[in-house]
Amino acid sequence: MTWLFPLLGFLVAALAALSRSSARRYLYAGGIALLVAFFTFPFSSAIGYLSREAVYPTPAGLLPSWAPLGLIALAGLLAVLPLAPRLQGLLGTIGGVVVLLVSYSWLAQPVFLAKIVPLPGLTEAAIAFLAGGLLFLMLRERSLALALVVGLVVAGGSFTLLNGPVGHTYFPRLEGYYKLIRPLPAEESEHLIREYNQGLAKTNALREEIGLKLLKPIESLADLEGGVPKDLAAEGVRLVRPSSLRYGTTAVLFLAGLLLASSLFLMRNPELVEAGDRVSGLTAAAVFLILVPSFYATEFSLGRLVEGWPFFVNFLDRSWPPNLADPAHNIFPLQEVASQMALTVEIALVGTFLAMLFAIPSSFLAARNLTRGSAFTRTVFTLTRAFYNIDRGIDTLILALIFVAAVGLGPFAGVLAMAIHSIADLGKLYSEAIENVERGPIEALEAVGASGTNVVRWAILPQVLPLFVAYTLYRFEINFRVSIVLGFVGAGGIGFFIQNAMASGQYDQMIIGIIAIVIVVNLIDFGSSWLRSKLV
Amino acid sequence: MIEAHDLGVTFPNGTEALKGINVKIDDGEFVAVIGLSGAGKSTFLRTLNGLVKPTQGAVRVGGVDVGRLSGRSLQRFRRTVGFIFQQFNLVTRLTALDNVLHGRLGYLPTWRGLLGLYGERDYALARTYLEEVGLADKQHVRVDALSGGQQQRVAIARAMAQEPQLVLADEPMASLDPRLSDVILGLLKDYNEAHGVTVLVNIHVLELARRYARRVLAFNQGRLVFDGPVEELTDELAEQIYAGSLEAL
Ligand SMILES: Nc1ncnc2c1ncn2[C@@H]1O[C@H](COP(=O)(O)OP(=O)(O)O)[C@@H](O)[C@H]1O
Ligand SMILES: [Mg+2]
Repeated sequence: MTWLFPLLGFLVAALAALSRSSARRYLYAGGIALLVAFFTFPFSSAIGYLSREAVYPTPAGLLPSWAPLGLIALAGLLAVLPLAPRLQGLLGTIGGVVVLLVSYSWLAQPVFLAKIVPLPGLTEAAIAFLAGGLLFLMLRERSLALALVVGLVVAGGSFTLLNGPVGHTYFPRLEGYYKLIRPLPAEESEHLIREYNQGLAKTNALREEIGLKLLKPIESLADLEGGVPKDLAAEGVRLVRPSSLRYGTTAVLFLAGLLLASSLFLMRNPELVEAGDRVSGLTAAAVFLILVPSFYATEFSLGRLVEGWPFFVNFLDRSWPPNLADPAHNIFPLQEVASQMALTVEIALVGTFLAMLFAIPSSFLAARNLTRGSAFTRTVFTLTRAFYNIDRGIDTLILALIFVAAVGLGPFAGVLAMAIHSIADLGKLYSEAIENVERGPIEALEAVGASGTNVVRWAILPQVLPLFVAYTLYRFEINFRVSIVLGFVGAGGIGFFIQNAMASGQYDQMIIGIIAIVIVVNLIDFGSSWLRSKLV
Repeated sequence: MIEAHDLGVTFPNGTEALKGINVKIDDGEFVAVIGLSGAGKSTFLRTLNGLVKPTQGAVRVGGVDVGRLSGRSLQRFRRTVGFIFQQFNLVTRLTALDNVLHGRLGYLPTWRGLLGLYGERDYALARTYLEEVGLADKQHVRVDALSGGQQQRVAIARAMAQEPQLVLADEPMASLDPRLSDVILGLLKDYNEAHGVTVLVNIHVLELARRYARRVLAFNQGRLVFDGPVEELTDELAEQIYAGSLEAL
């Protein structure tokens, strides 16, 4: 199935070229991504005794074991050289083919024993360099000297911290994170295995005494597929399995296809270039380089989706027809859904109302145009804004978990959590509305000799009130959906009903809840946007 | 009476909007303030009700040194000075009557103002002046449903409801159809004659100043370059005042 990846890359570049967008952009993207992947993406696995001892070396890390892998980096480098389009296409074509050949012959290599050589300080330096570089880029516009100083200080400082005892205490996996894989010479491998086999008699005698399974002697390296013996692993020996795919392997295969197709099209038609190809190629490469590890981390797998298919069918089978009521057993699910849905709406209503109650007064303290007066009011402004920013960062669900612990299960915890989180959101919206009021009426009321509070009451409030109502309605829409989920953490309501029905396998009741949610969400959104359109 | 002594205003950004203004205006006068855009007309009017503070010299209105006022005393002074803005500056979501009542806020204790608890007399005054500007039938109409000319008349009624000793109008016709200029200036002129209240009007258009005012103050680059009866404002003088700008003539 590995051929799917280069094919996919090929198709992407081919489609782009056929739609007459720049082929050179994808050539650049492929080259840049190959270069970065070469140094950072895991390409194979190398197993030890325990599963956590496994390391996943990059192509660069595997260079001491198999030098031809270096051709991947070379191909990437050649692809990004700014040459005439035809020549660039030619080099890219050769590069694409070479990367494919190298990758596939690596996958065909037999397993071998190798020693890991950690490169201490390298990851730390890379992180520090990135942090400093990012700051430099951000400050460059303002002042080059400042950017340089700040960049260097931050890079130097974070390297010292990360590479010292502090960094290695808090991030124990950081030390020597980047590893080279140095193969053991054949005689050394054999020697190790012979030594192991000789010691086996003694080990097995011991194991027999305490009733453990006896270990078999190692005939060939393939016997180690289940894991390297404990004492070998402790010495830093790993079994490298070139045929085991990591996401770096699939990425490189994809990029080879992309490189090949875009180069072929560019060679055939050198017009397929655009200004700024290098920047757009870099952007495309960055997106690719971020997405690939993310997909891997989320364990994205179409295979598992297919495997899980029967469950969906089973679920649908068991949920239809819905069990609206079963008087014989004294079960009335539709009634239950109606009651719980009402509770969910009520939680959202009370939560939003309480939030509004606190957000209205505080938003005036968080409006820049009303707090310019004195140092005291400016401090109040800063504090209120700081509260908003922190509060906005703490999600309703997290607050709900805390409140459930404090005041117990039930809607009250949900209402509190929702109210507190929504204060910040509403307050921020309200205060922005206040900051955007027309100045004219304020000036006019100051000119008639009205007091400060009367200016707020008569010049500002009439302007912002309709906006306040609109924002509150909008927040209520959101809070209704939050309220559904709150049921799952114990706040009651329709979420609670669904969770119960699901846990007890009563899918024919659960489906009523789901349908009810679809209907009510749409009703509320429709009603609220209709009201809002009447207001503003 | 208005008295300015060596009045100067320099804004924080360094713009010298007014320089060495000396002027005396008697009660009950109707004065036109003319000059090019940027000459300092608005700034001059704004120093008279304390919206701008003098950075040099002083200006007295009815014996009060306006620049020294602040807080409560400034509010007490301001309620006696009506100000009419070019952009009306009404609260457009409220009714015409509500806006005119705002002219009474300075006379109410703050808490009554907050609750909108105006007295009988406040309502009577507001209705009288709405009638005077010809909008008696519009008192319960929201301001955003009124035309530009009607809105400016509401603003004039708001200023009149203050029962002011002085009315300042900063280019009150500038954002209206030119045909409405006579309506607005006519209202101000009638008010001035009927109540004997001093009125200062900034007018960009010289022709209008000539027609309504007996006395003209002309500004140029922050200086008072002419102060006298309108008859003495010869064409040559006017040309100097409007140097380079023909469209205003
Ligand atoms: N708040 C302010 N800050 C800085 N400069 C100002 C401000 N208000 C007015 N000015 C400047 O002062 C000068 C006079 O302005 P203004 O009194 O509005 O003139 P006019 O009303 O005659 O057009 C202009 O140059 C203007 O740009
Ligand atoms: Mg002006």
